[in-house]
Amino acid sequence: MSLGDYLIPLAPEFIMLIGACAALIVGLTQTDDRRQFVSPFALLVVLAALVATVWLGSPTAETVSPPGLWLTSLTYFARLITLVIGALIVLVNWHQPVAEERGEYMAMLLLSLLGITLTASANDLIVLFFAIELVSVPTYVIIALSRTDSRASEAAVKYFFLGAMAAAILAYGMSFLYGAAGTTTLFSLTGGAVASLWQNGADLGPQAIIGLLLVFGGLAFKVAAVPFHVYAPDVYEGAASPVTGLLGFVPKFAGFLALIKVLSALNWELPTEVFWVLWLMAAATMTLGNALALLQTSAKRILAYSSIAHTGYMLVALLVGPVAGSGPMHDGVAALLFYMAVYGAMNLGAFALLSAFRSGDRDTETLDDLAGLARRAPMAALALAVCVFSLMGFPPTAGFLGKLYIFSSAFSLDAAHPYHGAMVALAIIGVLNSAVGAAYYLRIVAAAYVREEVQEAKPTGGMPLRWGLALCAIPMLVFFAWPSRLAGEARDATASVHQSIRADQGKVTAAEHGQADLASRDVIGSDTP
Amino acid sequence: MDVDTLKILGVVILLAPLTGAILAGALGPKLKGNTHWVSILGVGTAFAAAICVFIHVSGVETGSVSALVPIYEWIANGTDTVFNVELLIDPLTSVMLLVVTGISLLVVIYSRDYMRDHGNPERGYERFFSFLALFVFAMCALVLGGNFLLLYLGWEAVGLCSYLLIGFYYQKPSAAAAAKKAFLVNRVGDFGFGLGILMIYLTFGSIQYEAVFDAVRVAVASGDPILQTKITIIALLLLCGACGKSAQLPLHVWLPDAMEGPSPVSALIHAATMVTAGIFMIARCGAIFAASPVAMTVVAVIGAVTALFAATIALVQTDMKRILAYSTISQLGYMFLGIGVYAADSAIFHLYTHAFFKALLFLGAGSVMHAMGGIIDVRQFGGLRKVLPWTFLTFLIGSLTLAGFPLLSGFWSKDEIIHHAFSEHWILGGIGLVTAVLTAFYTSRMFCLAFLGKERIPEGVHAHESGKWMLLPLFILAIGSIFAGLAGTGLTGKCFHGFLEPVFADTFATAGAHGAEAAGHAGEAAAHAAEAAGHAADAGFLAAYGLLILSAALAIIGILAAYFVYVRNQWFAGVMKNTAPGVYDTLLNKYYLDELYDETLVQPAKMGGKVCVGLDDYLIDGLVWIVTAVPRALAYLVRGLQAGKLQGYAVSMVAGMAILALWVFWS
Repeated sequence: MSLGDYLIPLAPEFIMLIGACAALIVGLTQTDDRRQFVSPFALLVVLAALVATVWLGSPTAETVSPPGLWLTSLTYFARLITLVIGALIVLVNWHQPVAEERGEYMAMLLLSLLGITLTASANDLIVLFFAIELVSVPTYVIIALSRTDSRASEAAVKYFFLGAMAAAILAYGMSFLYGAAGTTTLFSLTGGAVASLWQNGADLGPQAIIGLLLVFGGLAFKVAAVPFHVYAPDVYEGAASPVTGLLGFVPKFAGFLALIKVLSALNWELPTEVFWVLWLMAAATMTLGNALALLQTSAKRILAYSSIAHTGYMLVALLVGPVAGSGPMHDGVAALLFYMAVYGAMNLGAFALLSAFRSGDRDTETLDDLAGLARRAPMAALALAVCVFSLMGFPPTAGFLGKLYIFSSAFSLDAAHPYHGAMVALAIIGVLNSAVGAAYYLRIVAAAYVREEVQEAKPTGGMPLRWGLALCAIPMLVFFAWPSRLAGEARDATASVHQSIRADQGKVTAAEHGQADLASRDVIGSDTP
Repeated sequence: MDVDTLKILGVVILLAPLTGAILAGALGPKLKGNTHWVSILGVGTAFAAAICVFIHVSGVETGSVSALVPIYEWIANGTDTVFNVELLIDPLTSVMLLVVTGISLLVVIYSRDYMRDHGNPERGYERFFSFLALFVFAMCALVLGGNFLLLYLGWEAVGLCSYLLIGFYYQKPSAAAAAKKAFLVNRVGDFGFGLGILMIYLTFGSIQYEAVFDAVRVAVASGDPILQTKITIIALLLLCGACGKSAQLPLHVWLPDAMEGPSPVSALIHAATMVTAGIFMIARCGAIFAASPVAMTVVAVIGAVTALFAATIALVQTDMKRILAYSTISQLGYMFLGIGVYAADSAIFHLYTHAFFKALLFLGAGSVMHAMGGIIDVRQFGGLRKVLPWTFLTFLIGSLTLAGFPLLSGFWSKDEIIHHAFSEHWILGGIGLVTAVLTAFYTSRMFCLAFLGKERIPEGVHAHESGKWMLLPLFILAIGSIFAGLAGTGLTGKCFHGFLEPVFADTFATAGAHGAEAAGHAGEAAAHAAEAAGHAADAGFLAAYGLLILSAALAIIGILAAYFVYVRNQWFAGVMKNTAPGVYDTLLNKYYLDELYDETLVQPAKMGGKVCVGLDDYLIDGLVWIVTAVPRALAYLVRGLQAGKLQGYAVSMVAGMAILALWVFWS
């Protein structure tokens, strides 16, 4: 393949890579005046990558994917959402790091975003592993740089060590999968996208099951699911608020994309034991996240624990999978992608508000700090209320539709489906949990609107932060009134998932004709440079 | 019809006031006293677009005059059912749009001066204009919506705006209480309404108007008794919502209290537009209601009883705005009666004329209130003829129209309803006539007390005629009150009814046809047949000449009686009061219905609330404590192990992984 074959289909990724390198160089300049340019430059890079994404459009059947990657509509969706939310993240983090470190900070942010889009395109376990670590490693640096506070360093170190352990678990699991499947390729693209890990419709042996468990474990860390959630509250609280907003979205999106990849490579036919493990994980994640959030008095910790609960809701959608039909009302994967996009913005918005005020000489964190906000800063309080209502899943916000899609997809499984009852039960647990969630989310809104001011909070951060906050809140209302475009993109994004499953069902018949081995041999051949 | 053009116009009608509302809210703190321009621009654009829609619809010569305009998919449900954002544009919609946006524009213009105190904007000036524009958006959404979901959303949104605007002076406890009362009473109705829509979806599998109405027609044709019962239940549930929104018995109690809001709000929301939403909804769902004779009878009876009931209360009230509020309830009763006797076109005609003269009267009352420094009780002032000459003139026109003075617009529309009521049942028609006399009497009483006789002005009040911004809408509405009725008379060939005819052609049979049907039924029993034929002949004669003359005469008698009592022989009012003190007190206290509701509903509900608070404090909180104690204890245990240390976290991760693995391989 010539260089052009890599460059053009991967233009957004290359723009971000070059942008990250350039941001590092700008950050090395001597005067603070020049370093000020890093933030606008990073925004420009993200927007340029977004333009490139839109210009390229959604990959079609004719798009030739570079080796190790499979460019699909899922890639397109991941790029769009990552870059739009990425632009908001840059706005919210505009003034966050001290000027000397802004170059490194923004470069790491760009690399992290780059990792998400690569995760969505990975077609090989090894590429997947590197892509997801490309998301994680920069976040350790970002947390450490986010504020000059020992808590930030502590959070960074904790996150780093535990993240390294999770990476080890993930890599270990992948090695088992390789052993079981005999290939690291996820989908063989010759003969119409066939899942490779699930061969010939055979049952997965114990080796593959242990591999799957370890992979889910490693990815559960990225998405902060029980029992790998323990780090989340400490790390989320230690990092500065704009970074916490980022942490709720970036690793989570990458983790879920990886889970979608692995599950669709399994043809979404989970061994019963593994299904129940994930079921239990989803139920426990929702319930534990909500129960612990109820006990908190710090708005930041409430949001941190609630982010665990949201992982639980998304796991419900993941478990439903694409089987029940297309469109987010039926298709769990589309519902998950829709929810992820909405969650990224609403979660970031809530944290952006926390970073827009300082209480005395420290950052705004507790509910007391927020008390009386509505009288002091009515527009900011309104934005907070919109984001929090959206997190709660209350109309008229996009969060409501997100939850509606997830739970309706769980209900829409065919009655004859073996997990029909289990999914309905899980959806009911989810609905009950969102009701519990309302209890602590309302405390945030009540603090801002009902309570009297406890301590004076001064506005901080510049116009970019304010714009970031507004641009997180307004879409919550817009996408409630007009969700069809985003829902349509989410539906289209699952085309590749459906495609691989359909192709596999075709493959079973092909295997009867003794052609399957030939097809898989082609794949291994084509992936060797 | 050209769907693309209608789509653009519909979107403009919706987005212009919404943008106005958002901008007025966002820029209000900067614009301050100029905020009204934003709202005027938004509502004015909507009005212009509504005129275009009307021209478009009336210009249709061939083909259907009803168009379903899809805007976008709202909740896509994969391949099958979808909830769309779609607009239904037909003659009914275009008439309603004209009324809503037209009156709104005049009211917004009027409010520019009304919401000022000696030229300075009142507190919350920008909030007022923002809410007003938001109301116009919500009302247009209600009218334009092409399915029950949008109808419901608009329905709730106008309720919200009504709540916000009644409680505009929320510093006043009475205003806050009135807003709460309006909201809660409407909740009762809306609960039924919501259930009705759910039942429509469950029964017919769709919420789109056309699909549902077609399904209803099929169901009626099939003659399935279970479906027939379901349709009746649906109609009664929807009626529940209509009674709440349009303040009909027994849910009328909120409207008089709603007068705590600023007068322009009373004129727009609580007289001309929002309260007519119930009538609009029943007319829109004609297919459902007409399919259920039971529901139609209920509608007619509720309307007739409410009309009479509210008119009697209005006889003795002394607060001008409250008199007008009861008169609104009474006039809405007429409209219900009209629909109930299968004369939906007449009901909409009355809705249209009523919007003019009732808005005029409320704005006139607002002008009086503005001049009297906020006082609106007719016992405290009088003889304002000289002080407020223009208000006097326009109010006179409004009063005469409401009283049903011959040849003014209210006369035509009311007379039509009474006429149709007679062809259904003589009791309904009789109630209509009695109410007409009472209406003429209480309207003239209010007018005489306020404007005629000796000039009385409360002390310390500098009475002055209102400014241009307030008088202009009064003039326009006065002209409308005089001439709007011509659209439905023989002079113009009943063009109003002709315009609406396609909407109701296959739902509400015209009154004549219905009468014939009734006669047909009667024919089954020979003895009754002769009687029925006689009635029909009577009705025909009355329709042609008698009823017209009779109701004109009654209106004039009512007006003269009031003039006689309240201007010429004021002692007579005292005599009337003292001869039947029981009746007087009952009327003054609105038949003690508020007290009855308080005793039977509000107090027990409060008791229930207290019980619930007790349960919540002790039982639920206890349970919650126990439930949360589990994670707390868990957290405590785990924290004891790990103490925030990294190693502890790592161990818990590995342990979790191991437990999951063991569980998988054990089973």
